[in-house]
Amino acid sequence: MTTDMNYPTEQVAPPTVSYVPPATDERIEQFRDEINDLELKTPADDNERNLMYGGIGLMGFAIVVILAGYWGASGSAIVGEQMPYLLSGGMLGLALMIAGAALFVRYSLSRYLRFWLVRDIYEQRTQTDRVVESMNNVEVLLRAATRPRSK
Amino acid sequence: MSFKHRPTVDASPETVPPLLELKGIRAAYGRIEVLHGVDLSLPQGAVFALLGPNGAGKTTTLNVCSGLVQPTSGGVYIAGRRINGATPDQLARAGVCTIPEGRGVFPNLTVHENLQMMTFVGSSIEQVEEVAYYRFPRLKERRNQLAGTMSGGEQQMLSMARGLATNPALLLLDELSMGLAPLIVEELYAIVAQIAAEGVSILVVEQFARTVLGVADLAGIMLHGQIIRVGSPRDLEDELSAAYLGA
Repeated sequence: MTTDMNYPTEQVAPPTVSYVPPATDERIEQFRDEINDLELKTPADDNERNLMYGGIGLMGFAIVVILAGYWGASGSAIVGEQMPYLLSGGMLGLALMIAGAALFVRYSLSRYLRFWLVRDIYEQRTQTDRVVESMNNVEVLLRAATRPRSK
Repeated sequence: MSFKHRPTVDASPETVPPLLELKGIRAAYGRIEVLHGVDLSLPQGAVFALLGPNGAGKTTTLNVCSGLVQPTSGGVYIAGRRINGATPDQLARAGVCTIPEGRGVFPNLTVHENLQMMTFVGSSIEQVEEVAYYRFPRLKERRNQLAGTMSGGEQQMLSMARGLATNPALLLLDELSMGLAPLIVEELYAIVAQIAAEGVSILVVEQFARTVLGVADLAGIMLHGQIIRVGSPRDLEDELSAAYLGA
């Protein structure tokens, strides 16, 4: 660590107001709100997005492969010469198309289904709370009805 | 000096969730894994002292909490929310403050200029200085002095003042006592106790346990990348030597 003793320093007057530490409960609530508002980007999100785009790219590549197979096969009338193009272009292209479509569907739906699941759980909990509250009310009424009357 | 004059913390789970929680944290530098499944829970308003010898993984644990090191597995939870992937500046702006090992002050800048660095949170320099000089009146006398020319204790005070000026809700302290005289360490931990009494949750990492155990509500011993024991400071005090020496 080096220090430069010739560094020019400006003489600054200190503040004169008195300081009062802020109310901690308010600060904690504010902190919780700020943490909840954080926009987080996790590596898992990147992977999902990359795989989804990979699926789209794979489908595009599959179309190119199929077209290449068609172009090759259309250059000959002999079935024996057309077969390699059919297999390497047509069948391979079809396989790539299916794989790409599977990736795209899987990862594009996962976010939607995740939200749907959370929403479903939330609504089930709300429903359970309502049922419990109703049962408590019924219990109170039954107890009142079965209480022995004073003479 | 006794620091045990704060109200006890009700850390029962059914009342308030922990402000900071680590669950199964593994972290590595490249291919070298240094944390092997760390679990830690810091109740709101409590002081947790994380103790252990050199190389135990204490600073790495603190860096995981502040977002400087991303865990390879496990979850970091702040205020009940999983915050894996949060950047250090996001957490700092929200109210997670780290006082690093070795102070980290700018030696070629004055005390006033070092404090000016903390106006990024939106406070004016007057507000920042107000907080700093309230906590550390000695800094007021040194406000126009270059930070590099101050003693180690004063630099540590400046480092803490910069952190506290951000009005943190969660304070992470890394080896406050490093290279300082015992009298200065006691003075600094008295201020830590004062901050804790105001309700700030504090995770403090230390090699030298005696002073910090007087301030802490909970303590944990860390060895070889794992927390091997958590308990009250009184319970752990007797086990420290054995833990450090591997008995």
